[in-house]
Amino acid sequence: MNQRARQRARAVVKALIPEDYERLQSIKINDLGFGYDPFGLEIESAMMAYAVAKFIYTHWFRVESHGVENVPLKGPVLVTPNHSGVLPFDGAMIMVDVTKKMETPRIMRAVVDNFAGFLPFLNTLFYRWGQIIGARRNFEELLRQGEMVLVFPEGHKGTGKPYRERYKLTRFNVGFMELSLLNKTPIVPAAVIGAEEQYPYMLDLKPLARVLNFPYMPVTPMMLLLGPLGMVPLPTKYAIYYGEPLHFYRDYPPETVKDPETIYGLVDTVKTRVQELIDQGLRERKGVFGFSLPSSFSGLLGGEDETAPPEERKRIQEKAGS
Amino acid sequence: MVKKKKGTVKEKKGTVKKKSPAKKKEVAVKRKPSPVVKKAGSTSRKKNVLITGVTGTVGSRLAEALYYDKNVGVIMGVALGAKPYYFNQFDTKRFRYKNLNILKQRDLTNLFLAGDFKEAKINTVVHLAFLNRVVSASKEKKTFNTLNVEGTRDLLDKCMETGSVTKFIFKSSDVVYKIRPHNPIYLDENADLNFDMDVDPWIKDRVDADMICQSKLDNRNTNIVILRFSNIIGRMVSSQMNAFFDSPLNFRALGFNPLINLIHMEDVIQAIHLAIRKNVKGIFNIAGADTAPISTFAEINRSRMVSLPEPLLRPSNALLRMMGLTRYYYSVDRDRLKYSLLLDTGRAQKTLGFRPRSHVYFERGVA
Repeated sequence: MNQRARQRARAVVKALIPEDYERLQSIKINDLGFGYDPFGLEIESAMMAYAVAKFIYTHWFRVESHGVENVPLKGPVLVTPNHSGVLPFDGAMIMVDVTKKMETPRIMRAVVDNFAGFLPFLNTLFYRWGQIIGARRNFEELLRQGEMVLVFPEGHKGTGKPYRERYKLTRFNVGFMELSLLNKTPIVPAAVIGAEEQYPYMLDLKPLARVLNFPYMPVTPMMLLLGPLGMVPLPTKYAIYYGEPLHFYRDYPPETVKDPETIYGLVDTVKTRVQELIDQGLRERKGVFGFSLPSSFSGLLGGEDETAPPEERKRIQEKAGS
Repeated sequence: MVKKKKGTVKEKKGTVKKKSPAKKKEVAVKRKPSPVVKKAGSTSRKKNVLITGVTGTVGSRLAEALYYDKNVGVIMGVALGAKPYYFNQFDTKRFRYKNLNILKQRDLTNLFLAGDFKEAKINTVVHLAFLNRVVSASKEKKTFNTLNVEGTRDLLDKCMETGSVTKFIFKSSDVVYKIRPHNPIYLDENADLNFDMDVDPWIKDRVDADMICQSKLDNRNTNIVILRFSNIIGRMVSSQMNAFFDSPLNFRALGFNPLINLIHMEDVIQAIHLAIRKNVKGIFNIAGADTAPISTFAEINRSRMVSLPEPLLRPSNALLRMMGLTRYYYSVDRDRLKYSLLLDTGRAQKTLGFRPRSHVYFERGVA
């Protein structure tokens, strides 16, 4: 953006979200002299993205969050939530949430899959919004600069899992743990409830995905019914839970990275913590869309509805048993 | 858009300015010997320097900088053609000029056997001679490849044979790196080089010559230094980005706007000068002070830039070249116009004491 476009962008953001404008203004980036940081982040582009994402955050997914005070206000930190929902709205909602609710707003740098780098427009937009293509060296550089980094340890396996496997964590990659120990960085486990139902996809068109260089090409019933309109995610209600920071580096020196058994053990600890937060979220929520559905509809969503409140779930199970 | 920073020099493309604060920095770095520093060779001995391709922009600037350096003895400049007028101001006892093609075997042998060379006691060679013209005819391509790659190898071999040459500095470029969308944002010296089969011959020559120098890095008598520069900007410099920004009309890949780094000519000279003076060997990335998306620089330069779908870039560029509107070759920068390439200069900062000091300035610019 040139100077004039930047001024216009700020004016638009101020008009759209006057309540957050001052907070966004206070965010500092590692400016190289032309308004961009070394990773290509431009604060005005990030502000515009925030304004759009906040509208979705407030009006579409109606996000509520718990435990944001667990995210450190400064210094390097890795936030590791579950990943789901075909398109990464979960990441965008977490980013809006921390920017909106933290005492001192920080820009969260999300690590995106390599395939995003090949895509025109998306590639540039991701960089301008502060997202990073997942090269290990980039992680290290971000942590060295004291940034808050959002990592999905499940990778695209999480977003690409079918509806029937919702809220079941897939295998966690171990890279984030190695980086945490090497860079003495706390890990904040997190859980996103609601994203797993936004695209209840049933079928993966693998040959088409291979042609387009995508990791998967899901087809949802909504896409079959509504065509392109089916790309709009269902307005599920999101809940985000942040766990207490885990400081593994205090007990495990950097040399631990050479011991795969210990690393896998520590990763399992994080995975267990994320699963606990997911279970807590599922227990506490009032249904997929923020209210309880009739039991017959719950049955349609896939038999036993683990997302229903405990009493409702018990009733469904009893009914199924009889 | 462009901010004027304290302690930086803004100047027209290609003009050299001497600055005093640099001396302080270099002294400070000298006190902390780096682990890469080898005992071979001596920093106290006067440097007698042979510069190949001395009539080029970098070569002539370097010759000028070395001429005014008290630690440098004789400077021998080698290039094709008669001695240019701007060297006439130099004392012939300190600056000697030879008209020969260093990349040709016979000329090279003659140079090393000549009395002048022996008398000058050359102990440092800066290899800048490199044919930059990209040609389409396959026969010519081969000739260029022979001169660039085999010439570099022959020169290096000769230098090592003499036993008196203790340092060989090769000016390489960041085009040798493989550019990929998932590269780390900063590439260090160990990053993958571009060995693609379909790569442009210009890049291939650079990679081959770079590899030849790398293969001799372990030599005990000659310290080999490879300097990989980012995009050099300056008047008459034959660099890709220079040609790009000199063009009245530029094309870039639709949907991409990568970060690029530009280095000022003065910083290029500074880096080579430091490599001559310091007792170092190895590969060093050298980047300038200015990093921004390519569109930002084009805007500062007031270039007309049009975004085109990738398949249209090659024919559009060919058309512009046919019309004589540009010297820029798209095929060399195919990936650079899509993906960022920034150099990690940590090693150069630590070992050479290199810090970029000058910002680029565009004559047509708004700054």
